[in-house]
Amino acid sequence: MNRSLIASIVSGLILVSLQILLFRNFAFFNIGFAFVYLLFMLSLPKETNHLGAMFLALLIGLVIDLFYQTLGIHAASLVFLMFVRPFWLSANVPRSGYEVNDLMVLGNYGLGWFMGYSLPLVFSYCCIVFFVEAGSGDLFWQTITKALVSTVITLAFIIIAQYLFYPKRR
Amino acid sequence: MGKLLSFLYRFRAFLIFVIIELFCVWLIVQNNDYQRSAFAASSSSIVGSINETAKNVSGFFRLQSVNESLAAENARLRELLSTSVNVPEDSMDTYLFQTDTTDSMMYKYLKAEVVMNGIRNVNNFFTINRGSAAGIEPGMGVINASGVVGKVRAVSENFAQCISLLNTRNPISAKHLPSSRMGTVAWEGSNPKKARLQYITTDIAIEVGDTIVTSSFNAVYPKNIMIGTVLSSSPDANNTYLNIDIALSVDFGSLSYVYAIKNNTKAEQDSLISTNPLLYE
Repeated sequence: MNRSLIASIVSGLILVSLQILLFRNFAFFNIGFAFVYLLFMLSLPKETNHLGAMFLALLIGLVIDLFYQTLGIHAASLVFLMFVRPFWLSANVPRSGYEVNDLMVLGNYGLGWFMGYSLPLVFSYCCIVFFVEAGSGDLFWQTITKALVSTVITLAFIIIAQYLFYPKRR
Repeated sequence: MGKLLSFLYRFRAFLIFVIIELFCVWLIVQNNDYQRSAFAASSSSIVGSINETAKNVSGFFRLQSVNESLAAENARLRELLSTSVNVPEDSMDTYLFQTDTTDSMMYKYLKAEVVMNGIRNVNNFFTINRGSAAGIEPGMGVINASGVVGKVRAVSENFAQCISLLNTRNPISAKHLPSSRMGTVAWEGSNPKKARLQYITTDIAIEVGDTIVTSSFNAVYPKNIMIGTVLSSSPDANNTYLNIDIALSVDFGSLSYVYAIKNNTKAEQDSLISTNPLLYE
């Protein structure tokens, strides 16, 4: 428990500040954003309190919003992500089952499982952010492209970061 | 009652989720109220100073291009200064001078530096490092050496948050310089180098390269401030207006030093307009 908790807090602080200071300034191909801090929210153990996770999402979302100048938008999508996450986790159990208090990361459950777990969540997150930000469906194709490209780039960064910095099991 | 409570308890996660989302929606709606007073959240001092520190680091690598643009502006102003000395025909004019210069000062330029800037969203904002302490007020126009940049939206003591011209909800009253016809420049939400000039009727001859400037129909910008040049023009489906694409003169990707414009007569101008009974029936 303690190791996961400390790893979570440290990775959360590092990822949120990296997002604010570094990744906010990058837009790949002009339309792709890298929301690397999602790795922190996605990697929280399955046992994390559902309500607590949503309030944490609200807090982190608002901090991100302050720096993106989009008050409420990232918070709303991040709370949505944390609300559906437990249901998606129990619908998408890896073959070996979950272990108590394990971080939900690639090193523990494998690349295939992690892709299946994170891809729909990150994509729905990006969709909510960009459609609420656009305010209407006028720029539908542009917005959906933005969401798709951002999902791919976010996932690429998240997966590389896990290979580099997260411990492998055993 | 017990059943109701146990029902509520069972679905507490969903209820809390709905409540938090409603709170977020409330924030978004509040913040979408672009023209009136808005949350000065990102102009607050903590966020502002973090951004300024980050900008100091990244700004170091752009010093050369910033210097070049400032030197170019200096050169242009010097040239202007040398050409504007008019030789009086009547030598008596030399002895006339204004005793009170406060009346002739309609606009005052306050310099500031952009510390945070967005160009990738549909509705973009930027933050400058001067606030109410330096005399910045909501509603002031912001320009730089190349043209119109945006408008101040909310101020704190040392920072101000501004709506960029690259914001679909920030249209600007504009003028087609060769014909002096009025229109509106609005950004379309995708390309940070292009905007759309609207409400120009088809009887106007528009050439590629024509200059688009601010009109005198607003109290925010002085007239004849550059906005951009015409890229292409074609009649719309009903043949009533032209669809005119313009290339913006400001490079929003590399904003650094800007001027906020204080219009000393704005209050007077606005109060006169608001007494018009036809506008507020």
